[in-house]
Amino acid sequence: MISLPVVLAVAALLFGVGVYGVLGQTNTIMIIMGVELMLGAAMLNVVGFLRYSHPHATSGDFFVLVLMTLMALEGAVGFALVVSVFRSRRTSEADDLTELSG
Amino acid sequence: MSYFTPLAVVGLALAAAPGVWLLEQLVAGQRPAPGRALRDLRIMLGSPLQRPESCDSALFHLAPSLLVLASVVALATVPWAPGFRGIDLQAGALLFVAALAYVTPAMVMAGWGAGRPLAVLGGFRWVALMLAYAMPLAMVITSVAAPAGSLRPTDIVRVQHAVPMAVAQPLALALWLPAVTAVCFLPPFDLPQAGGELFGGVFAEYRGLDLALVALAQRVLLLAVSGMTAALFLAGWEWPLLPPAVWMGLKTAAVAWLLLWAGRRFPRVAVDRALSLAWRVANPLSMLAIVYAGLLTLLFYR
Amino acid sequence: MSDLATAIVFWPAVGLMLAAAVFVFITSSMARAGLLLLASLAIEGLVFLALGSRFLGFLQLLMMSGEMVIMVFFMVMFMPDPGGLMGMDMTHDKRRSATVAVAVTAALGLVAVLTDWPARVVGRGAPDVRAIGFEVMGRSMISFLFAGMTILLAMVGGVLLAKHGGRFGLPAAGDEQSGEHSPPEERS
Repeated sequence: MISLPVVLAVAALLFGVGVYGVLGQTNTIMIIMGVELMLGAAMLNVVGFLRYSHPHATSGDFFVLVLMTLMALEGAVGFALVVSVFRSRRTSEADDLTELSG
Repeated sequence: MSYFTPLAVVGLALAAAPGVWLLEQLVAGQRPAPGRALRDLRIMLGSPLQRPESCDSALFHLAPSLLVLASVVALATVPWAPGFRGIDLQAGALLFVAALAYVTPAMVMAGWGAGRPLAVLGGFRWVALMLAYAMPLAMVITSVAAPAGSLRPTDIVRVQHAVPMAVAQPLALALWLPAVTAVCFLPPFDLPQAGGELFGGVFAEYRGLDLALVALAQRVLLLAVSGMTAALFLAGWEWPLLPPAVWMGLKTAAVAWLLLWAGRRFPRVAVDRALSLAWRVANPLSMLAIVYAGLLTLLFYR
Repeated sequence: MSDLATAIVFWPAVGLMLAAAVFVFITSSMARAGLLLLASLAIEGLVFLALGSRFLGFLQLLMMSGEMVIMVFFMVMFMPDPGGLMGMDMTHDKRRSATVAVAVTAALGLVAVLTDWPARVVGRGAPDVRAIGFEVMGRSMISFLFAGMTILLAMVGGVLLAKHGGRFGLPAAGDEQSGEHSPPEERS
Protein backbone atom coordinates (compact mmCIF):
# COMPACT_ATOMS: atom_id res chain seq x y z
CA MET A 1 0.00 0.00 0.00
CA ILE A 2 1.00 3.62 -0.07
CA SER A 3 3.39 4.56 2.66
CA LEU A 4 5.65 7.48 3.46
CA PRO A 5 8.71 6.22 1.50
CA VAL A 6 6.53 5.82 -1.61
CA VAL A 7 5.32 9.41 -1.42
CA LEU A 8 8.85 10.66 -0.81
CA ALA A 9 10.19 8.64 -3.75
CA VAL A 10 7.53 10.10 -6.04
CA ALA A 11 8.48 13.58 -4.83
CA ALA A 12 12.14 12.75 -5.55
CA LEU A 13 11.24 11.81 -9.13
CA LEU A 14 9.31 15.03 -9.61
CA PHE A 15 12.21 16.99 -8.13
CA GLY A 16 14.59 15.27 -10.55
CA VAL A 17 12.45 16.30 -13.52
CA GLY A 18 12.52 19.86 -12.21
CA VAL A 19 16.31 19.76 -11.85
CA TYR A 20 16.64 18.55 -15.43
CA GLY A 21 14.45 21.43 -16.60
CA VAL A 22 16.41 24.06 -14.71
CA LEU A 23 19.79 22.81 -15.92
CA GLY A 24 18.93 21.72 -19.42
CA GLN A 25 16.66 24.43 -20.77
CA THR A 26 17.99 27.60 -22.31
CA ASN A 27 14.92 29.78 -21.98
CA THR A 28 14.28 31.76 -18.80
CA ILE A 29 10.60 30.89 -18.73
CA MET A 30 11.31 27.18 -19.10
CA ILE A 31 13.78 27.51 -16.20
CA ILE A 32 11.03 29.09 -14.10
CA MET A 33 8.84 26.11 -14.98
CA GLY A 34 11.53 23.76 -13.71
CA VAL A 35 11.69 25.70 -10.44
CA GLU A 36 7.90 25.40 -10.11
CA LEU A 37 8.17 21.63 -10.48
CA MET A 38 10.84 21.50 -7.78
CA LEU A 39 8.65 23.53 -5.45
CA GLY A 40 5.75 21.21 -6.26
CA ALA A 41 7.91 18.26 -5.24
CA ALA A 42 8.73 20.02 -1.98
CA MET A 43 5.02 20.50 -1.33
CA LEU A 44 4.36 16.84 -1.99
CA ASN A 45 7.07 16.01 0.55
CA VAL A 46 5.48 18.24 3.17
CA VAL A 47 2.03 16.77 2.56
CA GLY A 48 3.47 13.26 2.81
CA PHE A 49 5.16 13.98 6.14
CA LEU A 50 2.04 15.75 7.32
CA ARG A 51 -0.28 12.88 6.53
CA TYR A 52 1.93 10.01 7.62
CA SER A 53 3.59 11.27 10.75
CA HIS A 54 1.51 14.10 12.16
CA PRO A 55 -2.00 13.75 10.71
CA HIS A 56 -3.53 16.31 13.03
CA ALA A 57 -0.90 19.03 12.98
CA THR A 58 -2.37 22.07 11.27
CA SER A 59 1.00 23.80 11.16
CA GLY A 60 1.92 21.49 8.27
CA ASP A 61 -1.05 22.73 6.26
CA PHE A 62 0.10 26.24 7.00
CA PHE A 63 3.56 25.42 5.72
CA VAL A 64 2.10 24.22 2.41
CA LEU A 65 0.12 27.47 2.19
CA VAL A 66 3.37 29.40 2.54
CA LEU A 67 4.97 27.23 -0.16
CA MET A 68 2.10 27.94 -2.56
CA THR A 69 2.55 31.65 -1.90
CA LEU A 70 6.23 31.21 -2.62
CA MET A 71 5.46 29.55 -5.96
CA ALA A 72 3.24 32.45 -6.98
CA LEU A 73 5.83 35.02 -5.89
CA GLU A 74 8.65 33.23 -7.64
CA GLY A 75 6.60 33.24 -10.84
CA ALA A 76 5.67 36.92 -10.48
CA VAL A 77 9.18 38.19 -9.81
CA GLY A 78 10.65 35.87 -12.43
CA PHE A 79 8.26 37.12 -15.09
CA ALA A 80 8.98 40.71 -14.12
CA LEU A 81 12.68 40.02 -14.65
CA VAL A 82 11.95 38.40 -18.01
CA VAL A 83 9.90 41.42 -19.07
CA SER A 84 12.63 43.82 -18.04
CA VAL A 85 15.37 41.81 -19.76
CA PHE A 86 13.27 41.40 -22.88
CA ARG A 87 12.70 45.17 -23.04
CA SER A 88 16.39 45.95 -23.21
CA ARG A 89 17.78 42.88 -25.02
CA ARG A 90 14.88 41.53 -27.11
CA THR A 91 15.62 38.01 -25.90
CA SER A 92 14.58 35.69 -23.12
CA GLU A 93 17.36 33.15 -23.64
CA ALA A 94 19.49 32.63 -20.54
CA ASP A 95 22.55 31.83 -22.69
CA ASP A 96 22.60 35.38 -24.08
CA LEU A 97 22.85 37.02 -20.67
CA THR A 98 26.55 36.47 -20.05
CA GLU A 99 27.99 39.84 -19.22
CA LEU A 100 28.58 39.03 -15.56
CA SER A 101 30.45 35.83 -16.36
CA GLY A 102 34.03 36.89 -15.79
CA MET B 1 -22.42 10.13 -0.45
CA SER B 2 -23.95 7.19 -2.24
CA TYR B 3 -23.15 5.69 -5.61
CA PHE B 4 -26.33 7.24 -6.90
CA THR B 5 -25.10 10.81 -6.42
CA PRO B 6 -22.72 11.19 -9.39
CA LEU B 7 -25.39 9.82 -11.71
CA ALA B 8 -27.91 12.26 -10.28
CA VAL B 9 -25.55 15.20 -10.84
CA VAL B 10 -24.84 14.20 -14.43
CA GLY B 11 -28.56 13.72 -15.02
CA LEU B 12 -29.23 17.16 -13.62
CA ALA B 13 -26.56 18.63 -15.88
CA LEU B 14 -28.14 17.00 -18.95
CA ALA B 15 -31.61 18.09 -17.90
CA ALA B 16 -30.35 21.61 -17.26
CA ALA B 17 -29.48 22.36 -20.86
CA PRO B 18 -33.05 22.25 -22.25
CA GLY B 19 -34.33 24.07 -19.17
CA VAL B 20 -31.87 26.93 -19.49
CA TRP B 21 -32.45 27.01 -23.24
CA LEU B 22 -36.20 27.40 -22.58
CA LEU B 23 -35.47 30.22 -20.18
CA GLU B 24 -33.25 31.92 -22.78
CA GLN B 25 -36.09 31.80 -25.31
CA LEU B 26 -38.53 33.22 -22.77
CA VAL B 27 -36.19 36.04 -21.80
CA ALA B 28 -35.64 36.83 -25.47
CA GLY B 29 -39.41 37.07 -25.85
CA GLN B 30 -39.67 34.27 -28.39
CA ARG B 31 -42.08 31.35 -28.39
CA PRO B 32 -40.13 28.22 -27.48
CA ALA B 33 -40.10 25.78 -30.38
CA PRO B 34 -38.80 22.42 -29.10
CA GLY B 35 -39.24 20.70 -32.46
CA ARG B 36 -36.99 23.13 -34.29
CA ALA B 37 -34.44 23.01 -31.49
CA LEU B 38 -34.27 19.22 -31.70
CA ARG B 39 -33.79 19.43 -35.46
CA ASP B 40 -31.03 22.01 -35.03
CA LEU B 41 -29.35 19.81 -32.44
CA ARG B 42 -29.50 16.80 -34.74
CA ILE B 43 -27.94 18.79 -37.56
CA MET B 44 -25.28 20.11 -35.20
CA LEU B 45 -24.37 16.65 -33.94
CA GLY B 46 -24.43 15.26 -37.46
CA SER B 47 -21.96 17.72 -38.92
CA PRO B 48 -18.31 16.68 -38.91
CA LEU B 49 -15.74 18.13 -36.50
CA GLN B 50 -13.61 21.02 -37.64
CA ARG B 51 -9.93 20.23 -38.08
CA PRO B 52 -7.99 23.41 -37.33
CA GLU B 53 -4.82 23.97 -39.33
CA SER B 54 -2.53 24.13 -36.33
CA CYS B 55 -0.29 21.56 -34.80
CA ASP B 56 -2.06 21.84 -31.44
CA SER B 57 -5.42 20.57 -32.59
CA ALA B 58 -5.51 18.11 -29.68
CA LEU B 59 -5.88 21.10 -27.35
CA PHE B 60 -8.67 22.38 -29.57
CA HIS B 61 -10.69 19.18 -29.13
CA LEU B 62 -9.85 18.76 -25.44
CA ALA B 63 -11.08 22.23 -24.48
CA PRO B 64 -14.86 21.51 -24.67
CA SER B 65 -14.44 18.41 -22.51
CA LEU B 66 -12.51 20.37 -19.89
CA LEU B 67 -15.24 23.01 -19.99
CA VAL B 68 -17.93 20.35 -19.42
CA LEU B 69 -15.90 18.74 -16.62
CA ALA B 70 -15.40 22.07 -14.83
CA SER B 71 -19.07 22.97 -15.10
CA VAL B 72 -20.33 19.58 -13.89
CA VAL B 73 -17.98 19.64 -10.87
CA ALA B 74 -19.16 23.16 -10.09
CA LEU B 75 -22.75 21.94 -10.35
CA ALA B 76 -22.01 19.04 -8.02
CA THR B 77 -21.05 21.36 -5.16
CA VAL B 78 -24.38 23.19 -5.17
CA PRO B 79 -26.64 22.18 -2.26
CA TRP B 80 -30.11 21.66 -3.73
CA ALA B 81 -32.15 20.39 -0.79
CA PRO B 82 -31.41 18.87 2.62
CA GLY B 83 -31.42 15.39 1.14
CA PHE B 84 -30.11 16.07 -2.35
CA ARG B 85 -26.70 17.49 -2.96
CA GLY B 86 -23.83 16.23 -5.03
CA ILE B 87 -20.57 16.61 -3.12
CA ASP B 88 -21.01 17.84 0.43
CA LEU B 89 -17.53 18.63 1.67
CA GLN B 90 -16.13 20.85 4.37
CA ALA B 91 -14.36 22.90 1.73
CA GLY B 92 -17.20 22.73 -0.81
CA ALA B 93 -17.27 26.45 -1.55
CA LEU B 94 -13.54 26.31 -2.28
CA LEU B 95 -14.12 23.40 -4.66
CA PHE B 96 -16.77 25.49 -6.44
CA VAL B 97 -14.28 28.31 -7.05
CA ALA B 98 -11.58 25.83 -8.03
CA ALA B 99 -13.90 24.22 -10.59
CA LEU B 100 -14.81 27.60 -12.06
CA ALA B 101 -11.10 28.42 -12.31
CA TYR B 102 -10.68 25.63 -14.88
CA VAL B 103 -12.82 27.49 -17.39
CA THR B 104 -9.76 29.69 -17.94
CA PRO B 105 -7.35 27.01 -19.21
CA ALA B 106 -10.15 25.63 -21.36
CA MET B 107 -10.59 29.00 -23.03
CA VAL B 108 -6.86 29.37 -23.59
CA MET B 109 -6.70 25.87 -25.07
CA ALA B 110 -9.63 26.57 -27.37
CA GLY B 111 -8.19 29.88 -28.51
CA TRP B 112 -4.66 28.62 -29.02
CA GLY B 113 -5.70 25.34 -30.60
CA ALA B 114 -7.87 27.03 -33.21
CA GLY B 115 -4.75 28.66 -34.59
CA ARG B 116 -6.48 31.84 -35.73
CA PRO B 117 -5.36 35.28 -34.51
CA LEU B 118 -8.82 36.36 -33.39
CA ALA B 119 -9.35 33.16 -31.42
CA VAL B 120 -5.99 33.55 -29.65
CA LEU B 121 -6.92 37.14 -28.91
CA GLY B 122 -10.21 35.95 -27.41
CA GLY B 123 -8.40 33.47 -25.21
CA PHE B 124 -5.97 36.10 -23.95
CA ARG B 125 -8.77 38.56 -23.29
CA TRP B 126 -10.40 35.91 -21.18
CA VAL B 127 -7.21 35.35 -19.16
CA ALA B 128 -6.97 39.07 -18.43
CA LEU B 129 -10.62 39.25 -17.44
CA MET B 130 -10.53 36.17 -15.24
CA LEU B 131 -7.36 37.23 -13.45
CA ALA B 132 -9.12 40.45 -12.60
CA TYR B 133 -12.29 38.70 -11.41
CA ALA B 134 -10.73 35.76 -9.57
CA MET B 135 -9.97 37.80 -6.47
CA PRO B 136 -13.46 39.31 -6.02
CA LEU B 137 -14.95 35.84 -6.52
CA ALA B 138 -12.79 34.25 -3.83
CA MET B 139 -13.22 37.18 -1.45
CA VAL B 140 -17.00 37.17 -1.80
CA ILE B 141 -17.02 33.46 -1.00
CA THR B 142 -14.91 34.25 2.07
CA SER B 143 -17.15 37.04 3.24
CA VAL B 144 -20.24 34.86 2.84
CA ALA B 145 -18.58 31.95 4.62
CA ALA B 146 -17.47 34.09 7.57
CA PRO B 147 -20.89 34.36 9.26
CA ALA B 148 -21.41 30.61 8.94
CA GLY B 149 -17.91 29.91 10.20
CA SER B 150 -17.67 27.21 7.56
CA LEU B 151 -16.87 26.72 3.88
CA ARG B 152 -19.52 23.99 3.61
CA PRO B 153 -22.35 25.33 1.41
CA THR B 154 -25.06 23.60 3.48
CA ASP B 155 -23.82 25.38 6.62
CA ILE B 156 -23.92 28.68 4.77
CA VAL B 157 -27.53 27.95 3.78
CA ARG B 158 -28.47 27.07 7.37
CA VAL B 159 -27.01 30.25 8.86
CA GLN B 160 -29.41 32.27 6.69
CA HIS B 161 -32.61 30.93 8.22
CA ALA B 162 -33.40 34.35 9.70
CA VAL B 163 -31.83 36.85 7.31
CA PRO B 164 -30.77 35.98 3.74
CA MET B 165 -27.21 36.97 2.98
CA ALA B 166 -28.40 39.22 0.14
CA VAL B 167 -29.98 41.47 2.78
CA ALA B 168 -27.12 41.21 5.25
CA GLN B 169 -24.34 41.73 2.68
CA PRO B 170 -25.69 43.52 -0.40
CA LEU B 171 -22.18 44.66 -1.36
CA ALA B 172 -20.98 41.06 -1.64
CA LEU B 173 -23.96 40.21 -3.87
CA ALA B 174 -23.27 43.24 -6.07
CA LEU B 175 -19.68 42.07 -6.56
CA TRP B 176 -20.67 38.44 -7.05
CA LEU B 177 -23.23 38.86 -9.83
CA PRO B 178 -20.96 40.50 -12.46
CA ALA B 179 -18.16 38.09 -11.58
CA VAL B 180 -20.30 34.99 -12.12
CA THR B 181 -21.75 36.47 -15.32
CA ALA B 182 -18.19 36.85 -16.54
CA VAL B 183 -17.37 33.25 -15.56
CA CYS B 184 -20.29 31.99 -17.68
CA PHE B 185 -19.13 34.15 -20.62
CA LEU B 186 -22.64 35.54 -20.85
CA PRO B 187 -23.48 38.70 -22.82
CA PRO B 188 -22.42 41.81 -20.97
CA PHE B 189 -19.08 40.06 -20.41
CA ASP B 190 -18.96 37.76 -23.45
CA LEU B 191 -15.53 39.10 -24.34
CA PRO B 192 -13.82 35.87 -25.48
CA GLN B 193 -16.38 35.06 -28.14
CA ALA B 194 -17.72 38.62 -28.68
CA GLY B 195 -20.04 38.28 -31.67
CA GLY B 196 -19.41 41.57 -33.46
CA GLU B 197 -15.79 42.29 -32.61
CA LEU B 198 -13.97 39.00 -32.87
CA PHE B 199 -16.34 37.17 -35.24
CA GLY B 200 -17.04 34.42 -32.74
CA GLY B 201 -13.57 34.60 -31.18
CA VAL B 202 -12.64 31.50 -29.26
CA PHE B 203 -15.53 29.36 -30.45
CA ALA B 204 -15.67 30.48 -34.07
CA GLU B 205 -14.08 27.31 -35.40
CA TYR B 206 -16.12 24.81 -33.45
CA ARG B 207 -18.51 22.52 -35.32
CA GLY B 208 -20.52 19.43 -34.55
CA LEU B 209 -20.04 17.67 -31.24
CA ASP B 210 -17.46 20.22 -30.04
CA LEU B 211 -19.95 23.04 -30.46
CA ALA B 212 -22.70 21.03 -28.74
CA LEU B 213 -20.39 20.39 -25.77
CA VAL B 214 -19.53 24.09 -25.49
CA ALA B 215 -23.22 25.00 -25.56
CA LEU B 216 -23.98 22.35 -22.93
CA ALA B 217 -21.13 23.52 -20.70
CA GLN B 218 -22.25 27.14 -20.83
CA ARG B 219 -25.78 26.21 -19.77
CA VAL B 220 -24.57 23.92 -16.99
CA LEU B 221 -22.30 26.72 -15.78
CA LEU B 222 -25.23 29.12 -15.74
CA LEU B 223 -27.28 26.62 -13.72
CA ALA B 224 -24.39 26.03 -11.30
CA VAL B 225 -23.73 29.70 -10.61
CA SER B 226 -27.44 30.47 -10.32
CA GLY B 227 -27.88 27.61 -7.88
CA MET B 228 -24.86 28.71 -5.88
CA THR B 229 -26.13 32.30 -5.81
CA ALA B 230 -29.49 31.08 -4.55
CA ALA B 231 -27.77 28.95 -1.90
CA LEU B 232 -25.20 31.51 -0.74
CA PHE B 233 -27.25 34.68 -0.89
CA LEU B 234 -30.97 33.85 -1.03
CA ALA B 235 -31.11 31.37 1.85
CA GLY B 236 -31.36 28.35 -0.47
CA TRP B 237 -34.15 26.04 0.65
CA GLU B 238 -34.67 27.77 4.01
CA TRP B 239 -38.06 29.42 3.44
CA PRO B 240 -41.43 28.38 4.86
CA LEU B 241 -44.66 27.07 3.30
CA LEU B 242 -43.33 25.39 0.14
CA PRO B 243 -41.17 22.24 0.11
CA PRO B 244 -37.41 23.00 0.21
CA ALA B 245 -36.55 21.77 -3.27
CA VAL B 246 -39.31 23.90 -4.80
CA TRP B 247 -37.99 27.03 -3.14
CA MET B 248 -34.50 26.24 -4.32
CA GLY B 249 -35.70 25.66 -7.89
CA LEU B 250 -37.69 28.90 -7.92
CA LYS B 251 -34.78 30.95 -6.59
CA THR B 252 -32.34 29.37 -9.04
CA ALA B 253 -34.66 30.11 -11.94
CA ALA B 254 -35.06 33.71 -10.74
CA VAL B 255 -31.30 34.25 -10.59
CA ALA B 256 -30.78 32.64 -14.01
CA TRP B 257 -33.53 34.84 -15.42
CA LEU B 258 -31.89 37.93 -13.91
CA LEU B 259 -28.49 37.06 -15.43
CA LEU B 260 -29.96 36.37 -18.87
CA TRP B 261 -32.09 39.50 -18.74
CA ALA B 262 -29.09 41.64 -17.80
CA GLY B 263 -27.28 40.18 -20.78
CA ARG B 264 -30.00 41.40 -23.13
CA ARG B 265 -30.45 44.71 -21.36
CA PHE B 266 -26.88 46.00 -21.16
CA PRO B 267 -24.43 46.45 -24.07
CA ARG B 268 -21.20 44.47 -24.07
CA VAL B 269 -18.58 45.98 -21.79
CA ALA B 270 -15.40 46.89 -23.66
CA VAL B 271 -12.43 44.87 -22.47
CA ASP B 272 -10.39 47.80 -21.13
CA ARG B 273 -13.41 49.12 -19.29
CA ALA B 274 -14.18 45.72 -17.78
CA LEU B 275 -10.57 45.39 -16.63
CA SER B 276 -10.38 48.85 -15.10
CA LEU B 277 -13.71 48.25 -13.33
CA ALA B 278 -12.45 44.96 -11.97
CA TRP B 279 -9.07 46.20 -10.75
CA ARG B 280 -9.98 49.71 -9.60
CA VAL B 281 -13.50 49.18 -8.27
CA ALA B 282 -14.30 45.52 -7.66
CA ASN B 283 -11.03 44.50 -5.99
CA PRO B 284 -10.91 47.33 -3.40
CA LEU B 285 -14.63 46.93 -2.74
CA SER B 286 -14.19 43.21 -2.14
CA MET B 287 -11.61 44.00 0.56
CA LEU B 288 -14.23 46.28 2.10
CA ALA B 289 -16.78 43.47 1.84
CA ILE B 290 -14.48 41.17 3.83
CA VAL B 291 -13.99 43.78 6.57
CA TYR B 292 -17.74 44.32 6.69
CA ALA B 293 -18.36 40.58 6.87
CA GLY B 294 -15.91 40.33 9.77
CA LEU B 295 -17.69 43.07 11.69
CA LEU B 296 -21.06 41.48 10.94
CA THR B 297 -19.84 38.11 12.15
CA LEU B 298 -18.41 39.52 15.38
CA LEU B 299 -21.52 41.53 16.15
CA PHE B 300 -24.40 39.26 15.15
CA TYR B 301 -23.35 35.73 14.29
CA ARG B 302 -21.52 34.54 17.39
CA MET C 1 -11.32 7.30 2.03
CA SER C 2 -10.67 3.60 2.16
CA ASP C 3 -7.26 2.19 1.31
CA LEU C 4 -8.54 0.82 -1.96
CA ALA C 5 -10.03 4.13 -3.09
CA THR C 6 -6.83 5.91 -2.09
CA ALA C 7 -4.76 3.50 -4.16
CA ILE C 8 -7.13 3.77 -7.13
CA VAL C 9 -6.72 7.54 -7.17
CA PHE C 10 -3.08 7.66 -6.10
CA TRP C 11 -1.26 5.45 -8.59
CA PRO C 12 -2.77 6.71 -11.87
CA ALA C 13 -2.50 10.29 -10.59
CA VAL C 14 1.17 9.84 -9.77
CA GLY C 15 1.86 8.29 -13.15
CA LEU C 16 0.09 11.06 -15.02
CA MET C 17 1.76 13.73 -12.91
CA LEU C 18 5.26 12.45 -13.64
CA ALA C 19 4.52 11.83 -17.33
CA ALA C 20 3.14 15.35 -17.77
CA ALA C 21 6.15 16.80 -15.96
CA VAL C 22 8.56 14.95 -18.24
CA PHE C 23 6.70 15.96 -21.39
CA VAL C 24 6.90 19.62 -20.36
CA PHE C 25 10.57 19.53 -21.33
CA ILE C 26 10.16 17.27 -24.35
CA THR C 27 7.41 18.95 -26.32
CA SER C 28 8.39 21.62 -28.78
CA SER C 29 5.21 23.67 -28.59
CA MET C 30 5.48 26.22 -25.81
CA ALA C 31 1.75 26.54 -25.23
CA ARG C 32 1.58 22.78 -24.86
CA ALA C 33 4.48 22.86 -22.39
CA GLY C 34 2.69 25.40 -20.21
CA LEU C 35 -0.56 23.44 -20.25
CA LEU C 36 1.30 20.21 -19.46
CA LEU C 37 2.85 21.91 -16.45
CA LEU C 38 -0.64 22.96 -15.42
CA ALA C 39 -1.80 19.35 -15.82
CA SER C 40 1.13 18.06 -13.77
CA LEU C 41 0.61 20.45 -10.87
CA ALA C 42 -3.19 20.12 -10.95
CA ILE C 43 -2.86 16.34 -10.79
CA GLU C 44 -0.56 16.91 -7.82
CA GLY C 45 -3.65 18.48 -6.25
CA LEU C 46 -5.46 15.17 -6.87
CA VAL C 47 -2.57 13.37 -5.15
CA PHE C 48 -3.07 15.65 -2.14
CA LEU C 49 -6.75 14.69 -2.20
CA ALA C 50 -5.85 11.02 -2.35
CA LEU C 51 -3.58 11.47 0.67
CA GLY C 52 -6.52 12.96 2.54
CA SER C 53 -5.63 16.68 2.53
CA ARG C 54 -8.80 18.02 0.98
CA PHE C 55 -8.29 21.67 1.70
CA LEU C 56 -4.77 21.67 0.31
CA GLY C 57 -5.87 19.69 -2.74
CA PHE C 58 -8.61 22.12 -3.68
CA LEU C 59 -6.34 25.07 -2.97
CA GLN C 60 -3.65 23.57 -5.20
CA LEU C 61 -6.18 23.08 -8.01
CA LEU C 62 -7.36 26.67 -7.63
CA MET C 63 -3.95 28.31 -7.43
CA MET C 64 -2.31 26.37 -10.23
CA SER C 65 -5.03 27.07 -12.81
CA GLY C 66 -4.45 30.80 -12.59
CA GLU C 67 -0.70 30.68 -12.26
CA MET C 68 0.04 28.27 -15.07
CA VAL C 69 -2.29 30.05 -17.49
CA ILE C 70 -0.23 33.19 -16.87
CA MET C 71 2.81 31.03 -17.61
CA VAL C 72 1.33 30.04 -20.99
CA PHE C 73 0.63 33.69 -21.68
CA PHE C 74 4.23 34.69 -21.01
CA MET C 75 5.63 31.82 -23.03
CA VAL C 76 3.60 32.82 -26.05
CA MET C 77 4.68 36.43 -25.61
CA PHE C 78 8.40 35.96 -25.13
CA MET C 79 9.38 32.74 -26.84
CA PRO C 80 10.99 33.08 -30.24
CA ASP C 81 9.00 30.06 -31.43
CA PRO C 82 5.81 29.59 -29.39
CA GLY C 83 4.13 27.14 -31.73
CA GLY C 84 7.12 24.83 -31.99
CA LEU C 85 6.95 24.93 -35.79
CA MET C 86 10.54 25.88 -36.52
CA GLY C 87 12.14 22.98 -34.72
CA MET C 88 14.39 25.16 -32.56
CA ASP C 89 16.54 23.43 -30.00
CA MET C 90 15.86 24.99 -26.62
CA THR C 91 18.21 22.87 -24.58
CA HIS C 92 21.87 22.94 -23.68
CA ASP C 93 24.11 20.55 -21.80
CA LYS C 94 21.53 17.85 -22.23
CA ARG C 95 23.68 14.94 -21.12
CA ARG C 96 25.22 16.67 -18.11
CA SER C 97 21.91 18.01 -16.81
CA ALA C 98 20.29 14.61 -17.25
CA THR C 99 23.13 13.05 -15.28
CA VAL C 100 22.78 15.56 -12.47
CA ALA C 101 19.00 15.08 -12.42
CA VAL C 102 19.31 11.30 -12.23
CA ALA C 103 21.92 11.56 -9.49
CA VAL C 104 19.76 13.94 -7.44
CA THR C 105 16.72 11.69 -7.89
CA ALA C 106 18.69 8.61 -6.90
CA ALA C 107 20.12 10.29 -3.81
CA LEU C 108 16.75 11.58 -2.66
CA GLY C 109 15.08 8.27 -3.46
CA LEU C 110 17.70 6.37 -1.46
CA VAL C 111 17.18 8.66 1.50
CA ALA C 112 13.43 8.18 1.19
CA VAL C 113 13.60 4.39 1.01
CA LEU C 114 16.49 3.61 3.36
CA THR C 115 15.68 5.92 6.26
CA ASP C 116 13.80 4.23 9.05
CA TRP C 117 10.74 6.49 9.15
CA PRO C 118 8.43 6.14 12.13
CA ALA C 119 5.81 3.64 10.95
CA ARG C 120 2.38 5.19 11.20
CA VAL C 121 -0.68 4.82 9.06
CA VAL C 122 -2.32 7.67 7.25
CA GLY C 123 -4.46 9.66 9.64
CA ARG C 124 -8.15 9.08 9.41
CA GLY C 125 -10.18 12.25 9.51
CA ALA C 126 -8.26 15.09 7.94
CA PRO C 127 -7.65 18.19 10.05
CA ASP C 128 -10.77 20.19 9.41
CA VAL C 129 -10.77 23.50 7.64
CA ARG C 130 -11.72 25.36 10.82
CA ALA C 131 -8.59 24.10 12.54
CA ILE C 132 -6.44 25.40 9.67
CA GLY C 133 -8.19 28.75 9.97
CA PHE C 134 -7.46 28.90 13.69
CA GLU C 135 -3.86 27.93 12.99
CA VAL C 136 -3.44 30.73 10.43
CA MET C 137 -5.16 33.34 12.55
CA GLY C 138 -3.71 32.15 15.86
CA ARG C 139 -0.37 30.50 16.39
CA SER C 140 1.05 31.22 12.94
CA MET C 141 -0.25 34.77 12.75
CA ILE C 142 3.21 36.33 12.69
CA SER C 143 4.41 34.13 9.84
CA PHE C 144 1.16 34.77 8.01
CA LEU C 145 1.64 38.52 8.34
CA PHE C 146 5.21 38.11 7.18
CA ALA C 147 4.01 36.18 4.12
CA GLY C 148 1.54 38.97 3.42
CA MET C 149 4.27 41.59 3.59
CA THR C 150 6.42 39.48 1.27
CA ILE C 151 3.60 39.31 -1.25
CA LEU C 152 3.24 43.08 -1.10
CA LEU C 153 6.99 43.57 -1.60
CA ALA C 154 7.00 41.15 -4.52
CA MET C 155 4.05 42.95 -6.10
CA VAL C 156 5.72 46.34 -5.82
CA GLY C 157 9.05 44.96 -6.99
CA GLY C 158 7.50 43.08 -9.89
CA VAL C 159 5.59 46.12 -11.11
CA LEU C 160 8.67 48.32 -10.82
CA LEU C 161 10.82 45.84 -12.72
CA ALA C 162 8.31 45.31 -15.49
CA LYS C 163 7.33 48.96 -15.80
CA HIS C 164 7.79 50.61 -19.16
CA GLY C 165 11.24 52.18 -19.02
CA GLY C 166 12.53 50.05 -16.17
CA ARG C 167 12.97 51.09 -12.59
CA PHE C 168 14.69 54.38 -13.42
CA GLY C 169 11.86 55.73 -15.56
CA LEU C 170 11.88 56.67 -19.21
CA PRO C 171 14.97 58.54 -20.41
CA ALA C 172 14.51 62.13 -21.51
CA ALA C 173 14.48 62.72 -25.25
CA GLY C 174 18.00 62.70 -26.67
CA ASP C 175 19.46 61.18 -23.53
CA GLU C 176 22.02 58.69 -24.80
CA GLN C 177 23.12 57.48 -21.42
CA SER C 178 20.35 55.11 -20.48
CA GLY C 179 20.41 52.03 -22.63
CA GLU C 180 16.93 50.94 -21.61
CA HIS C 181 15.35 52.11 -24.79
CA SER C 182 18.02 51.72 -27.34
CA PRO C 183 17.00 49.57 -30.28
CA PRO C 184 17.89 45.89 -30.05
CA GLU C 185 21.62 45.56 -29.98
CA GLU C 186 23.14 43.39 -32.59
CA ARG C 187 24.07 40.12 -30.98
CA SER C 188 26.88 38.11 -32.39
